[in-house]
Amino acid sequence: MYAYDTYDHAMVNARVAEFRDQVDRRMTGELTEEEFRPLRLMNGLYLQLHAYMLRVAIPYGTLSANQMRKLAHVARKYDKGYGHFTTRQNIQYNWPKLSETPDILQELADVEMHAIQTSGNCIRNVTTDQFAGAVADEVADPRPYAELIRQWSSFHPEFSFLPRKFKIAITGAAEDRAAVKWHDIGLVLKQNEVGEVGFEVLAGGGMGRTPVIAKSMRDFLPISDMLSYLEAMLRVYNEQGRRDNKYKARIKILIDAMGIDEYRRQVDAEWEKIRHVPIDVPDEEVARIKAFFAPPPLPVLADAATEVDELANANFIFKAWLANNTGAHKVPGHVHVTISLKPHGGIPGDATDEQMDLVAELADAYSQSEIRVSHEQNLILPHVAKSDLPALWTKLDQAGLGTPNAGLLTDIIACPGLDYCALANTRSIPIAQTITERFDDIKRLMDIGPLKIKISGGINSCGHHHAGHIGILGVDRRGEENYQLLLGGSGAEDASKAAILGPGFNEVGIVDAVEKVVAVYLGEREGDESFLSAYRRLGPDVFKEAVYGTD
Amino acid sequence: MVLINLTGIQPTGFTLLAEGAQPKEGENVAVTVERLLAEDSVFFETAGGIGAVITTDTPYAELDAIADKLAFVVIEFPAFGDGRGFSLAVRLRKDFGFKGEIRAIGPVIPDQALFLLRAGFDTVDVTDERKAAFEAALSRFPGFYQSDFGGQTSIAHARHTAGHTIEGHREAS
Repeated sequence: MYAYDTYDHAMVNARVAEFRDQVDRRMTGELTEEEFRPLRLMNGLYLQLHAYMLRVAIPYGTLSANQMRKLAHVARKYDKGYGHFTTRQNIQYNWPKLSETPDILQELADVEMHAIQTSGNCIRNVTTDQFAGAVADEVADPRPYAELIRQWSSFHPEFSFLPRKFKIAITGAAEDRAAVKWHDIGLVLKQNEVGEVGFEVLAGGGMGRTPVIAKSMRDFLPISDMLSYLEAMLRVYNEQGRRDNKYKARIKILIDAMGIDEYRRQVDAEWEKIRHVPIDVPDEEVARIKAFFAPPPLPVLADAATEVDELANANFIFKAWLANNTGAHKVPGHVHVTISLKPHGGIPGDATDEQMDLVAELADAYSQSEIRVSHEQNLILPHVAKSDLPALWTKLDQAGLGTPNAGLLTDIIACPGLDYCALANTRSIPIAQTITERFDDIKRLMDIGPLKIKISGGINSCGHHHAGHIGILGVDRRGEENYQLLLGGSGAEDASKAAILGPGFNEVGIVDAVEKVVAVYLGEREGDESFLSAYRRLGPDVFKEAVYGTD
Repeated sequence: MVLINLTGIQPTGFTLLAEGAQPKEGENVAVTVERLLAEDSVFFETAGGIGAVITTDTPYAELDAIADKLAFVVIEFPAFGDGRGFSLAVRLRKDFGFKGEIRAIGPVIPDQALFLLRAGFDTVDVTDERKAAFEAALSRFPGFYQSDFGGQTSIAHARHTAGHTIEGHREAS
């Protein structure tokens, strides 16, 4: 993991001091709320429906056990005993007092954390594969490059007042777990014919009210050119992205208007001018950052563990958890473990202070003190010995963290919705809760297989409904909450936009409709065909018929 | 209004030239880009220092033809969040090698003081009551991750340069 030096510490401490001054000026009335708004937004502090909300950055979703303990402490001391992990691999606190936010940020700074650029029209937290550095199918660990981008983009003198927010995702694996094609810029690590490592660069993806899948900018960009190329891309966007309408200000709209070829031409022209000047990050610095992400010293262990088999034979839930929530690690005898924050009937992505403390303790005991947050709002222990799994699962299960549903229908992404969010049109949490209660049967879920439901309570699409195998979008229809049903989206390497199936439903009807869609799939699937594959083969009509009837 | 000097440059005193008016012999004048692009050589010979007043929606390429004739540039921000002004300053320094004063006018906020300095601005015109906040903001951060046009090298370089510390590696101006 990356560790701060005096420079990084000085940076976040200066930021805390600056923010404390801004809050003081607001509290004394020197700043009006209108003047304070842009300042607080640059530090992740939103004013929501009921209270301020503070979004804390978890850079590329990687954190230490000590950092998780601090997040638990903040939840306990300054909030109502819980936090909400987000699709940008961050954490949000829903009930901080304005006067205490500088103290929260100081406590976070003490453990090398911050809220810098978690909101505002700037480059946001770079996200990546939650299994980075743990899986065998990656070309290289993407996190050193994510850290380079984090530093390069922090307080950038030119790119801190962009037309709109800007999201970058990076993956090192062929299987895209970071939804890179749904980002303003997506970077995919790859090897060229002569074995050099570089990036495929994608641009112009995004959700919101205009879903667009990113287009390819370059098939291969050498790693040493990464920052100069990003600079050229951001400069053209900063200069020409629309500023007259915030709904048309994302880079996807610019690229759609000028065409990807023209955007590429302009970026290349600018890149030619800057790529040969001495680069801002010397090789020694790249090497220094890379060293923090050296693989942990895991011993090669036997692949079979008798204690695992014994418990699996005796306990079906553990057996299901093994199948769904653990995956192959690049070091034999180890797995990565997904801790589901999706208990049936619970709030997706929420964790209590006690649960966070427990995860920290388990990371210390079983996972090299390392934890990840996935964009699907779960927690991951990346480096666990197989023989430790029975003890680990038992402790998780006792704390309500043993739900064996990773990747299954009830592993739902949902935005906070109208329960918290000032931008939402409808609630989304209760829909997720009702669906998970309706499908509260692990055997049934495993029979259905991989199925991603994603729920947004508003057109901002924070719940990624455009990328859901089943997407649900809440809209306001003459003052009533109405839920649209979308099918066929994907956030993976085969990215696709979900399509609206037909008229919307009320909060009960939408759950019935999901059940009917699943029934069609179970009836029509061929062999071990997944839901998404079946939908792509069948098309929408058979689902439409089942949901809306034939008349 | 009061002028905040970010870099220690000698600020230019100038007259904003009214439409149709001609500069007096040797007078420093600020003129819109449109007019400068249309002016003849007599205009440039008569005036002293000539400055371009540009809005943030000016395409930087328009400056190409006149950049080497300019003594100073005034970039007008219509709103503090309109970050095109930062790219314009960067373009002037980087693409045109412009060495003269770059001034920001418009509703920029104190918390942008260091961003302005680092993007290549020398001066910023602010309302009197914001002077103290602007000056306080200038000394807030000891270093940044990017090398900048204010003469400070990036933390990435500082880390690997003997003798560098977190304090005071901005070159004296």
